[in-house]
Amino acid sequence: MAPELLLDSNIRLWVVLPIVFITFLVGVIRHYVSILLQSDKKLTLEQVSDSQVLIRSRILRENGKYIPKQSFLMRKFYFNNQEDGFLKNTKRKVVPPSPMTDPSMLTDMMKGNVTNVLPMILIGGWINWTFSGFVTTKVPFPLTLRFKPMLQQGIELLSLDASWVSSASWYFLNVFGLRSMYSLILGQDNGADQSRIMQEQMSGAAMAMPADTNKAFKAEWEALELTDHQWALEGVEEELMSRELDLDGMFSKELPTGIF
Amino acid sequence: SASLSERSEQMRDKLRKWREDNHRNSEQIVDVGEELINEHASKLGDDIWIIYEQVMIAALDCSRDDLAWTCLQELKRQFPGSQRVKRLAGMRLEALEKYEDASKQYDSILQDDPTNTAARKRKISILKAQGKSAEAIRELNEYLEQFVGDQEAWHELSELYINEHDYGKAAFCLEELMMTNPHNHLYCEQYAEVKYTQGGLENLELSRKYFAQALKLNNRNMRALFGLYMSASHIAASPKVNATVKKANVKYATWATNQINRAYQLAGRGTKENKCSVKAVEEMLESITMS
Repeated sequence: MAPELLLDSNIRLWVVLPIVFITFLVGVIRHYVSILLQSDKKLTLEQVSDSQVLIRSRILRENGKYIPKQSFLMRKFYFNNQEDGFLKNTKRKVVPPSPMTDPSMLTDMMKGNVTNVLPMILIGGWINWTFSGFVTTKVPFPLTLRFKPMLQQGIELLSLDASWVSSASWYFLNVFGLRSMYSLILGQDNGADQSRIMQEQMSGAAMAMPADTNKAFKAEWEALELTDHQWALEGVEEELMSRELDLDGMFSKELPTGIF
Repeated sequence: SASLSERSEQMRDKLRKWREDNHRNSEQIVDVGEELINEHASKLGDDIWIIYEQVMIAALDCSRDDLAWTCLQELKRQFPGSQRVKRLAGMRLEALEKYEDASKQYDSILQDDPTNTAARKRKISILKAQGKSAEAIRELNEYLEQFVGDQEAWHELSELYINEHDYGKAAFCLEELMMTNPHNHLYCEQYAEVKYTQGGLENLELSRKYFAQALKLNNRNMRALFGLYMSASHIAASPKVNATVKKANVKYATWATNQINRAYQLAGRGTKENKCSVKAVEEMLESITMS
């Protein structure tokens, strides 16, 4: 086991804790800035309408058992009919929102970059410059020597265990680690959540709203084809009459709503 | 003083509760709201704006145009150019029966925002208020083609169809509501009533089933209990049914009568009016067992 280093407790007081605070405050500020810079997403009438149609089809699949069989079949026919079923035959224009054609996407991307990536780089650099030249903390798991140049920027010691890291690495650890704190304090959908934003950026290129509609229609069509009608009211009288009605409290004055 | 601010807190909570439960107790809202606005406005903070909206609509219901006007002015001042406020201005014009002007108001909202459902629905309400049911039905159908998920609209359409005695289409609307709200006993009951009104053996069977479902969802729905009795006894009395079906329906009707009996026993326990009702129910029971 390599000999343990004893760090000056001042480091804890003046480096570790300030970096935590700085990261946290920057995150909170980023959240509020992103709210201010948020552009309104205007949905078209067609999008609203289509999303409601999809919901209706889903409800038909899930709760169709509560309506009579004829009614269910009539609606299923309306959606899935070979000739003019809505889900089968409605095609929406597909316009992939690439940054070139859709100017609002471009500004959104820029805003995203400015609020997230830029501060991270700036503050990371500043912390690296301010708190340089000493070891800040030790990560609790062993690391290979390959990590040394990355995590020990500014410390030119060849024999130092790679687990000892500099302030910059502590900063980046904080950026990702404080995510749950942000959820706690700012609520779920907060603008300070870096890793979520990065994930979105990676998958955002593949995701396109309009194409989704056509695919969504097809998926609903398939799901509805498979759905059969199992009437929930088949034995309702027997179920109801298996016991006396519970008329408890029906005529007490406290009953607020009418029973009719 | 302490009790004064307590009182304003209480009033504020009452208004909030009515708002959340969508109560239409306009007279109460006007009473509480007017006092709150006139005397405790400073304590309300930002709540005051939504209270102005709530009180304004209640004032329109009670023909208190003075109060409605005051609320509207305050809202216009705070939120100039707001579509929500424009809609309230339109509602005031409707209350004054200035339907042309109200319609123009809603058209201007729709010009800015074609997806604004509130304005479209208000226009349909104008048609209804003018008694133009056929047009209202047509417009509402067009609206629902684009906004299939609007449950309030489906319910309104079912009412309009019932008024026009178009029970088949009313049933369709209620089916939509039953699917989106499978645990709501009132929709099942209304559907059953429509089916019962349509008549015919098949519809009576359906109505009986849905009355039973309504009862299953809410044991205390007396109307559904009576409906169950009526539909079952009608089927039993029909010459077209075979003996098995007749026997089953007599059983259902008897069960329903017994439950009605129980309810009346619970209700009255000896008061004179109830003695008559209990007697009527007993006669009902006898008539069923005799046939």
